[in-house]
Amino acid sequence: MSDKKTLGELLTERGVSRRTFLKYASYTASILALPPTAATAIAQGIANARRQSVIWLSFQECTGCTESITRAHTPSIEDLIFDFISLDYHHTLQNASGHLAEEARMTAMEENAGKYIVVVDGSVPLKDDGVYSTIAGMTNLQMLEETCKDAFAVIAVGSCATFGGIPGANPNPTGAVAISDIITDKPIINISGCPPIPEAMTGTIAYLLSFGSIPELDHLGRPNAFFGEAIHDRCYRRPFYDRGMFAKSFDDEGARQGWCLYEVGCKGPVSYNACATLKWNGGVSFPIQSGHGCLGCSEPDFWDMGGFYKPLSTATGDALKFAGGAAVAGAAIGAASAMRARNKRKQVMKEGK
Amino acid sequence: MKRDSAAPCLSDRATGMARSVLSEINNLLDTLAATGEAGSIDLRSLPLSDVDREQLEEMLGQGEVRVEMDLAGKTEIWETTFPGVWWIRHRGAADKIATEEIAVCRIPEILMTHPVDIEAAAGRLRAELETTNV
Repeated sequence: MSDKKTLGELLTERGVSRRTFLKYASYTASILALPPTAATAIAQGIANARRQSVIWLSFQECTGCTESITRAHTPSIEDLIFDFISLDYHHTLQNASGHLAEEARMTAMEENAGKYIVVVDGSVPLKDDGVYSTIAGMTNLQMLEETCKDAFAVIAVGSCATFGGIPGANPNPTGAVAISDIITDKPIINISGCPPIPEAMTGTIAYLLSFGSIPELDHLGRPNAFFGEAIHDRCYRRPFYDRGMFAKSFDDEGARQGWCLYEVGCKGPVSYNACATLKWNGGVSFPIQSGHGCLGCSEPDFWDMGGFYKPLSTATGDALKFAGGAAVAGAAIGAASAMRARNKRKQVMKEGK
Repeated sequence: MKRDSAAPCLSDRATGMARSVLSEINNLLDTLAATGEAGSIDLRSLPLSDVDREQLEEMLGQGEVRVEMDLAGKTEIWETTFPGVWWIRHRGAADKIATEEIAVCRIPEILMTHPVDIEAAAGRLRAELETTNV
């Protein structure tokens, strides 16, 4: 449950100094691409905030998003976010089960009406009255609508919640849809990826705590701090692309020399995410650095777009749609799609206000 | 800090970025000297190659002050051979670098004790004096 004390008071009682706050704030400012001088304001904002009630709903998903956000093995600066929130409901992580678990969700909603954040991973099946995924006798649709009714904001994490993801892939047997297809009267932040980068999830929550507002979003409702640039633009192999030096197969000399993976299907040029800068597993590496092209998992319908190993330049019609504004032939389709999403986003934000 | 990469890449080469960062530091130092206004550069946000980073660290060197802090993981701070230019390195999980910045200031804010911590310290010491017979 949320505490009446501020986070600053709570953590001071536990011996956590303001220097630690400032260190966390410096880290947060860096991952949010804010100037280092913003750290003081972030530290102050978090210190003055109350523990944020979070209700985490898991629908048609694989638990990879939860694995991603809880991936750390040792207590560290990156984990402080878990001291800043009160995770009041999460199927996988909570001790309570059955009726007690559902009571915890209802209590959190009542005590924090208008203030709690709903995090959702997984898509919602609508076909056949939603019978393909139920929890505590409720369909995912019923639970989502009930829980979001009094929420401050909704964060959809993972490509299933943001765009339908793998459950929504052709032929979409359960009629899976994204959260934004159902919830239209609340601010929704999409953090796509399969799974999303953990810092993108924790950094967004830290932003909400620090500033009490929604971060700047792109046309797909994703925070610009993490999704503002194509992986290709920040890729360390980019200079090889610029020089026309491409691996032709995964075991040729070009691959051994670390050349660009565009011709073996890399979707980096049309994928917007922070993999090339934040990387994975504590900054160790990311798929391209490990020798495999980007799958484009943070983009809508990535699963159905022509094959992971086909280069974008020879992709199918569907893949051109995937390429959106970046591919020449897909530019018109991409622009129209972006416009629809932007209009929808504006409408939601307007109604939310 | 060497990249643990399966394949060679351009990160193994100097790009000239170190000199650009040094020029920016020079401007920030001028501002600090003239107005007292502090500034900083987030090194993580820059496309520095490993060689660039090594060049930058070597050119700035280490000066008179070096501090190690234990704040949810290690933090290392040193003043470079250019007074007023501080290198701040925060480490996170598994001792990896979580963020790194160059601060151009009289003293980095994180080294100063926060008033809230001073107040808490006074209260704690008073409580201990009341319960001990030292």
